[in-house]
Amino acid sequence: MAFGKKKVQTGTGVQNTPLPVQSGNIAPFKLELLITVVEKNKAEFYIDLIQSYEANFQFSAPAHGTAKADILDYLGLADSDKTVIFSVIRSDKLDDLAYTLDMKFRTVRGGKGIAFSVPFTSVIGTSVYAFLSNAVDSVKGDV
Amino acid sequence: MDEKKYETIFCIINSGFSETVMDAAREAGARGGTVIRARGTAGKEAEELFKITIHPDKEVLMILVPQEIKDSVLDAVYKSAGMGTAGQGIAFSMAVNRTVGLN
Repeated sequence: MAFGKKKVQTGTGVQNTPLPVQSGNIAPFKLELLITVVEKNKAEFYIDLIQSYEANFQFSAPAHGTAKADILDYLGLADSDKTVIFSVIRSDKLDDLAYTLDMKFRTVRGGKGIAFSVPFTSVIGTSVYAFLSNAVDSVKGDV
Repeated sequence: MDEKKYETIFCIINSGFSETVMDAAREAGARGGTVIRARGTAGKEAEELFKITIHPDKEVLMILVPQEIKDSVLDAVYKSAGMGTAGQGIAFSMAVNRTVGLN
């Protein structure tokens, strides 16, 4: 295996199972990449919200929407500046998070956005996997 | 949460071509997209071998589309800004598990 690290396969997870990671190459929790597109000035709000669902690794990138100037004028919008937030999150947290995001997209003023998730097929390194899946049980002995 | 099946199309193109690609995608049924600025990193040797000059300023266009029209949007994107054009684009799609906020 590259760099002498163990490959962790996230394809067949057993949900709601206590950690530490089981023997073999099967990780207990599936991971997904959640991609959230929101208005630029609401990015911090959504990053904090997603982090509260145990997403330990997130990064964001400035972006803009593809709506044309005449459509923005028609809708009374000043610009199309957006932020794309990439978050790695456990599958078993996604249902609750999706519900919360849906609610926030509908109710927060200027907080409309879209979000979708793409499943991970593998992760290299057990400590990386533990970090990404917030497997606190696996590091208890080190504290 | 939306029940309809979606796929996300990532299109990496030379800077300034996102409008061209989006126009083609719209004609194939896409509603809208998001553009992220990026930077290409092809190696010099590969550039010489394949006789392609890599324009380092890139745009990543992300378009979420219903699964049924994914192929036609990809086809339109490829025709408008594929490797044989000035846009020098590559495009790929990924299946999406969950979507929120599309209604």
